[in-house]
Formats: sequence, C-alpha cells, structure tokens
Amino acid sequence: MLPNKAAVEGVGDAMQLAEVKGRSLWADARTRFFRNKAAVASLVMLALVAGFALFGGTIAQYENDFVDFSLIGSNAYLGVPSVDTGHYFGTDSNGRDLFARTVQGTGISLMVGVVGALVAVIVGTLYGAAAGYYGGRIDGIMMRTVDVLMSIPFMFVLILMLVIFGRSIFMLFLGIGLISWLDMARIARGQTLTIKNKEFVEVAVATGVHPIKIILRHIVPNLLGIVIVYATLLVPNMIIFESFISFLGLGVQEPATSLGALINEGSRTMQFGYHWQIAFPLFFFVVTIFAFFFVGDGLRDALDPKDR
Amino acid sequence: MLSFVFRRLAVAIPTLLILVILSFVLMYSAPGGPFNSERPLPPEVLANIEAKYGLDQPFWKQIVNYVIGVVTQFDFGPSFQYKDRSVNDVIAQGFPVTLTYGFWSFVVAVSVGVSLGVAAAIKQNTWLDYLAVGVSIGAQVLPNFVMAPILLLVFTLWLGWLPGGGWEGGQWNYLIMPVIALSTSYMASIARITRSSMLEVLNTNFIRTARAKGLPMRRVIWRHAMKPAILPVLSYLGPAFVGMITGSVIIDVFFSTGGIGQFFVNSAFNRDYSVIMGITILVGALTILFNLLVDILYAWIDPKIRY
Repeated sequence: MLPNKAAVEGVGDAMQLAEVKGRSLWADARTRFFRNKAAVASLVMLALVAGFALFGGTIAQYENDFVDFSLIGSNAYLGVPSVDTGHYFGTDSNGRDLFARTVQGTGISLMVGVVGALVAVIVGTLYGAAAGYYGGRIDGIMMRTVDVLMSIPFMFVLILMLVIFGRSIFMLFLGIGLISWLDMARIARGQTLTIKNKEFVEVAVATGVHPIKIILRHIVPNLLGIVIVYATLLVPNMIIFESFISFLGLGVQEPATSLGALINEGSRTMQFGYHWQIAFPLFFFVVTIFAFFFVGDGLRDALDPKDR
Repeated sequence: MLSFVFRRLAVAIPTLLILVILSFVLMYSAPGGPFNSERPLPPEVLANIEAKYGLDQPFWKQIVNYVIGVVTQFDFGPSFQYKDRSVNDVIAQGFPVTLTYGFWSFVVAVSVGVSLGVAAAIKQNTWLDYLAVGVSIGAQVLPNFVMAPILLLVFTLWLGWLPGGGWEGGQWNYLIMPVIALSTSYMASIARITRSSMLEVLNTNFIRTARAKGLPMRRVIWRHAMKPAILPVLSYLGPAFVGMITGSVIIDVFFSTGGIGQFFVNSAFNRDYSVIMGITILVGALTILFNLLVDILYAWIDPKIRY
C-alpha cells in the first residue's frame, strides 16, 4: 500500500519544522509524559494529596493531639465522620480528631518517602557514578560492598538499631538513608559504564579535566533521566518501608503519627465497627502509593531511552 | 561450576561474619546494660548476673566467644528476659511456624505469579491480559500490612469463614490468610516481571523459527520460551525472599501465628538483645544462603554466564 500524499507531505513539513526548532530531550520527554493520561491524573492526585498534607491543618477544626473527652465511651455514634461536629473523618479510639491526624500522618509519610529518595539520589548517584567511572579495583571494592550490604536483611538490623538507640524519627531517617541508596548506586554505575566511553568524556579527559569534575559535570547530568525515574519509584517503597515499621509500633512515636501507624490503630478497632478509622488512612495510603507508581511508570516511558 | 560455588561462598561467609559482628557491636554500644531496671539491683547481684552471662569480660573476648558459639554450635546464648530459655529455644519454637507459612507463601507467589504472567503474555491484549495486569498493579499497592487487616475484615468479620488468628499446628484454615497476605504483593511483582520478559522472548527470532517449523504453541512455550523468560524472575527471587521473611513479622504480629516475628517484636519492646540478635543473624544467614542458591541456579540455567 502506498502512503498517501498528504501524509508524506505532512512528514516533510514536520521534518522542516524540526530543522527550524530543535526539541530538547526534556521537552520531548515532557510531551510524552503528558500524553500518558494515567500518569497525568496521578500527578494531579499527588498534588492534591500533598496539598492535603500541607494545608489540611488549616481546615481541621481540632489540634491533632487534642483529646475530646466528651466522646469517651460514645465513640461509636458521636465519633463518626460528620461535618457538623467538625470531625470530618471522625475520631480515633482515643477521641482525637482523625482528620488532623491523617493530615499529619500523610505529611510524615510523604516526608519519609521524599527524604529517602533524596538520600538515594545524592549518595547513590555519586557513589555509583564514581564506581563506574574509576572502574577496575576501586569499582570492584565499591560494588562488592554494595552487594554485601544488600544481602543483609535491613529491616531486622534497623529494628535492632531502633531498640538500642531509642525510637525516634531521626533513627528512622538514618535507617532509611542507609538502605535506599543501594539500588540507585547499581543503576547509576551501570549507566556510567556506557557513558564514560562516549566521545565527550574522552574529550574532557584529553583536555585534562579533573576526574571529580568529569563525574559531576559530564556524567551525572547524563544520569539524571534514569535517576529521576528510579527516585520516583523509590518514594512509594520508602513510604511502605516506614509504614511497615510504624505498623509494628516501632517507628514514629506518639503524638506524631504516620499512615502506617494510623492503619495499625484502625485495624485494631475495625472489629468493633469503627470502619472509618482504618478507611481514611488506608485511602490516603493507597492513593499516594498508586499515584507514585503511575507517575514513575509514566516518567520511565518518557525518559528511559531503552523503550524508544 | 564448583569454583563458581566456592567463589560465591568466599563472599557469603565474610558477609555473614560482618552481620554477626555488626549486630554484636550495636548491642554492645547500647546505653545501659540489659539488667538495668527501674529498681536498681545491688551491685553484688548485678556483678553475679553479669558474670553468668559473660558480660564482665572485655569486649574482644565477648565478641570472640559469641562468634565461636554461633559458628561452631549454633549457640546464640541465653535470653536476657526469659530466665529459663535460651535464644535457641525461642527459635526452635517459632521457626517451624514461620517456615511453614513462608514456604507456602513462596510457592503460591511463584506458581501463581509465573502462570499469571505467562498467560497474560500469551494472550496479550485480551481480557485475560488486562485482568492479570490490573490484578498485579492493584496488588502492588497492597503490602502485607494492608492486606492483613483487609482479609481479616472480609473473611473473619463479615463472612465469618476463617479464624482471625492463631496457629493450631498449622491447620489449613489458620494457614490461608497468612499465606494470602504475605504472598500477594510478591505474586503481583512476579507476574509483572514474567509477563514483560515472556513478551520479549516471544518476539525473538528463535521463537519465530520454532513456530515456523510447526511446533505447537504449548511446546514452544515450555521447551523454548520458558527458560530464558524465567531468568529475570529468578533474579527477583532473592529480594522477594528478603521481603517475605521481613513480612513474616507483620503476619506473626497480626495473626498471632507464633512465628519468630512475634518473638522478634516482643523482644524489641522488652530490649531482649540476645533474642533480637539471634533472629537477625538467623534471618541474615537464611538470606545469604538463599541468594547463593539463586545465584547457582541462575548460573546453571543461563548459558551466557561464565563461571
């Protein structure tokens, strides 16, 4: 079948256009990303969730650690979600406003995820890029270290640390920071191995640029696409990780809370008919995780050169 | 092949040693001893107790003794909280339980995940494919600590079909919810990985050749496509194993199954360091052993790997 004439001309026009106005990699990726409806919808959801975590506190009628003693013993019918009482999501089993607590929990969970991803991006990328760029024995030692660290069941070591040094949000961040960069280091190293043989790196070496500067200025920017993709996919994993520990009661401590801790509390009282106590935290948890996964997938389709 | 195994062992054993030493150092550096309580003991009594547990010896001697005890006799020492039990007793009580539902979860995750993935790849872009993809995306946001309450809510509280917890020697109706809760998210990941790698393999030339020479689809899948398609799944099994053994903590706590996870969390709240350490090391050893097995299996299946 012959291609019809209009289409051929259309291609010709497009080629001329391309000559007139070059498209950068990022502009290209942006159009691809915005064509993916699920990813865009998820991005909007994420923005809403983040807005809820940031500004939800201003709508809440109660402080998150205010115990409404008038509700004790009558939680089942007075603590139900209602606009009239100001407890939009009802109250928890201690008579605290669940809306305020969900706002706080979502905020902390998001923060944990973002901090974990940031550590991964900074430490993991630099580590992996350095290992890949220097190569040889340095690479061997650095990557064997990663292998060794990866085969340790970190959840157990982290719980050991939380027990020994006390449960605090700082320890939690430290523990998450310790593991989150391992995968990223591997990915960054693998990419660096292909990048470092490109001509522009050769030129930099030939003109006598310092290795550290080559890594920072020439290699890392080229890693950025894949790093962003994996960082986005890492955020939900970190949120799940933190929720896991908080579900066991070993993570964030009262009066602070996180989605995992709220789900745990809700799961204990749901058998008495307080379904809202698990439903609202669970809803925010699932929506957040879902949205991050979809945005990550969308970014991967947009940025990963493998699928082109 | 044998030298490959030895080389892997040469990495695995130091890893394990590092884990043992790391957890011992962590425990040693803990502020306050395990016997410091609100009601201070007379110094003579404290000295006696510390002598009994070997805590009065210098650091290097303690660590050497501990490592020797662990390596030569699998002896993790006495529990600091339960006077009549050693860490080995605790593990002996909890580990069979964890092993039972862990084994079944693993079998379910792998078998259901792989079959779902293969089915979705063969029937690409049919309702079966969409169902499999939908299920696996949905299941990915349902980690075990979300699955467990949902299952309990539906099957115990609403339908009343299954008991809400306990173990009873591992009867099937006590086993079913822990297995589902533990395996779902890994099953989903395995299905996704299998689907994409199977699709990739099915588009290769040697599969087209096999089809062109008239082999039935069933035979092509089993004989030719399965082996290369399963490789990415194999390399996922290591992380999945770690995830499941970690997840067993949630299962034990939530369903009161009495596995090692329950002891682990109880000890974490009681500051029973020796039990925490013993379980951490046991889990670490299992993980390393499992990764070793996966590596060997991988090298055995994949002809591209040189060893």
